[in-house]
Amino acid sequence: MGWKEAAEPVLTRMPAVARPEGHVPFRRKLAWTAGILVMYFFLTNVTMFGLETQTASGDFYGQFRSILAGSAGSILQLGIGPIVTASIVLQLLGGADLLGLDTNDPRDQILYQGLQKLLVVVMICLTGLPMVFAGGFLPADQQVAQSLGVGVGGVKTIIFAQMFVGGILILFMDEIVSKWGVGSGVGLFIIAGVSQQLVAGLFSWSSLGGASGFFPTWIGIITGAVDIGSPLSPGGLSDIFLGQGQLLALFTTLLIFGIVVYAESVRVEIPLSHARVKGARGRFPVKLIYASVLPMILVRALQANIQFLGQILNNWTGLPAWLGQYSQGQVTGGLFYYLAPIQSRGDWMWFLGLTSQEPAQILVRVLVDLTFMVVGGAIFAVFWVETTGMGPESTAQQIQNSGMQIPGFRRNPQVIEKVMERYIPQVTIIGGALVGLLAVAANMLGTIGQVSGTGLLLTVSITYKLYEEIAEEQLMEMHPMMRQMFGN
Amino acid sequence: MSSGQNSGGLMSSAGLVRYFDAEDRNAIRLDPKSIVAFGLLFGVGILVLNSVAF
Repeated sequence: MGWKEAAEPVLTRMPAVARPEGHVPFRRKLAWTAGILVMYFFLTNVTMFGLETQTASGDFYGQFRSILAGSAGSILQLGIGPIVTASIVLQLLGGADLLGLDTNDPRDQILYQGLQKLLVVVMICLTGLPMVFAGGFLPADQQVAQSLGVGVGGVKTIIFAQMFVGGILILFMDEIVSKWGVGSGVGLFIIAGVSQQLVAGLFSWSSLGGASGFFPTWIGIITGAVDIGSPLSPGGLSDIFLGQGQLLALFTTLLIFGIVVYAESVRVEIPLSHARVKGARGRFPVKLIYASVLPMILVRALQANIQFLGQILNNWTGLPAWLGQYSQGQVTGGLFYYLAPIQSRGDWMWFLGLTSQEPAQILVRVLVDLTFMVVGGAIFAVFWVETTGMGPESTAQQIQNSGMQIPGFRRNPQVIEKVMERYIPQVTIIGGALVGLLAVAANMLGTIGQVSGTGLLLTVSITYKLYEEIAEEQLMEMHPMMRQMFGN
Repeated sequence: MSSGQNSGGLMSSAGLVRYFDAEDRNAIRLDPKSIVAFGLLFGVGILVLNSVAF
């Protein structure tokens, strides 16, 4: 029959983390979350065995690292990349309704979960194999190859095996946090990485080996240890705002924080009243960035995958000039150049001599990036809302099931759905486009610690959601009655 | 507001992967503690291998 019957034996047997039996106390949830976080940081510091260490070949993910988590050369090399890519495929299939899975049906839920896992495993192979075997992104150590007697191919297989285990571990760590902890693993890993970069960008000092952070630089500027031009000359001003002073980056970072926290509170509230209990009222909030920040990661990951494809093809077979020209691992021309997102000021500020590209080329690239992010953001936000059960139909059903109704309307899911349809699609599209615009603007202006605009947006909004979830958890801890109300 | 009989497995914050309540009887269930233990042992194992090889 259909694909469901054919795939059922495999999909239903995918290993899963056991669910907790009964209620998990809040403290234990926090402990699980913290434990997984520590494990994540530990694993990002374990270098893969058999990797040539002398040559720093750079990070294959490059600037995309901040949203894909993990760390270059470690066993978590792939980060959440496979999970994100698998999610893109599922969103596109689900959004276009090609799967034919009804997520309200327990049978289909099991299939959906299984399919998710299977896709992640497929993506681990699809991204991992070319990374190791095509091109020299992860060079194998000759010495290890000789002493083990397995040849370079054998060592590469060992490298891939470690990467594969790391990818699977990330998947299960996400599942543990989702089922036993607070929030989700994917969110946790993104905020962990971005926060680490932010803190380093603010406080790191030069004797640690990396670039000097914001505060140490300013202490240096004030005490005269860091040499900048006179603040009254154009050169000095440029140093303060764009160069070492990083005032523009600080401003952008704070602005993004402010906008996201503010936008979290922008919402259309639909009044509700209980059908039987008089006086029990509530509101259903349709938030401006209701569902739009997370789909952003999917748009960025799509761009990232396009760039990986370019790099791998280039390393493997070489590309014609109209497709892509590369110098030192950076794309400098051709189609792939125009498809590459603007990651920092260095990519576009031709007037400061930061890039040698023609202004017209840069303009095209910025426009392509903007279109990609704004249109892509809106489309993925709509798909996201549909596939995660936040669309008009499912929310109407939820409100109906909770015994609430919209005052002045008949108590009927179709009627509630009509009202929801006036708000949810519009708000979702506006929110998605807005977030896309913000991410591009933040990247162009630069942020503290070189966290990308998308990384910052994701981090602030995930942290905000986490805060809301923790508040809710605490409420339930204090009043066990609430637990029943929340249907836990 | 109650979420009612919604069995859709509410999204936790930023969950790219969705987990539902429904589980198949045939599915292999893993204990979270054993996953953590495996992960740590795997990491330590690689560290040891690295230090032996160089």
